[in-house]
Amino acid sequence: MLVIRRRPGEIVLIGPEVEIEILDSSGSHVKLGIRAPKDVLVLRKEIQLTQQQNLAAAREVSPTALDRLLDTLR
Amino acid sequence: MPQISSQRFGPLELDSNAVLEFPAGLPGFEGQTRFLLVEDRATAPIVFLQSCSASELCFLAAPLAAIDDAYQLAITPEDLHRLGLDENRQPRMNEEVLCLAILSAPEDGPLTANLLAPAVINLVNRKAVQAVRADSRYSHRHPLAPREAPCS
Repeated sequence: MLVIRRRPGEIVLIGPEVEIEILDSSGSHVKLGIRAPKDVLVLRKEIQLTQQQNLAAAREVSPTALDRLLDTLR
Repeated sequence: MPQISSQRFGPLELDSNAVLEFPAGLPGFEGQTRFLLVEDRATAPIVFLQSCSASELCFLAAPLAAIDDAYQLAITPEDLHRLGLDENRQPRMNEEVLCLAILSAPEDGPLTANLLAPAVINLVNRKAVQAVRADSRYSHRHPLAPREAPCS
């Protein structure tokens, strides 16, 4: 992982077309502004994790697996 | 009454009171905007989110309280807006919203519940969103373990 220290107002470039600007940093939050072409995916990590989980959860659940689930909830 | 087809249940009556509208779909399934909430007493507390358009798409879910009875919601203002709820406070579970965790049960793999992104349903207008938290307080793969058998 490349670790860079930046202050508000400063910018990091990723590849030829993506810019991340630190807009504000206060307390426990950092506000980032991201400039990227429309075909570049910009996503909160948690959304990607949820996408992966949804794809896994969408697979058919067998009766055995359903019983195992019920054992954990009852 | 109109019907939808479901691989799990066969033909299902489309009761408009049980249809949930996810205006933005779900992450990974952005085009799936209408689901039927199916409850089967035989498999309670598990409920099913059956897609109204894809018969093979049926998520298993459970109310958050069945997994963690101390769960604290943290729905983002954007998601509150999508649900038609007041953006200045978290809604009351079971009064204003029904909150479900989508369950994962692979054939050989751990049983998990997505507590990072519960499906939140506005009980008044039936709008729903899979509300992905912005904090890391809960896991997208919360492990589910068999309950301890009572001592006999």
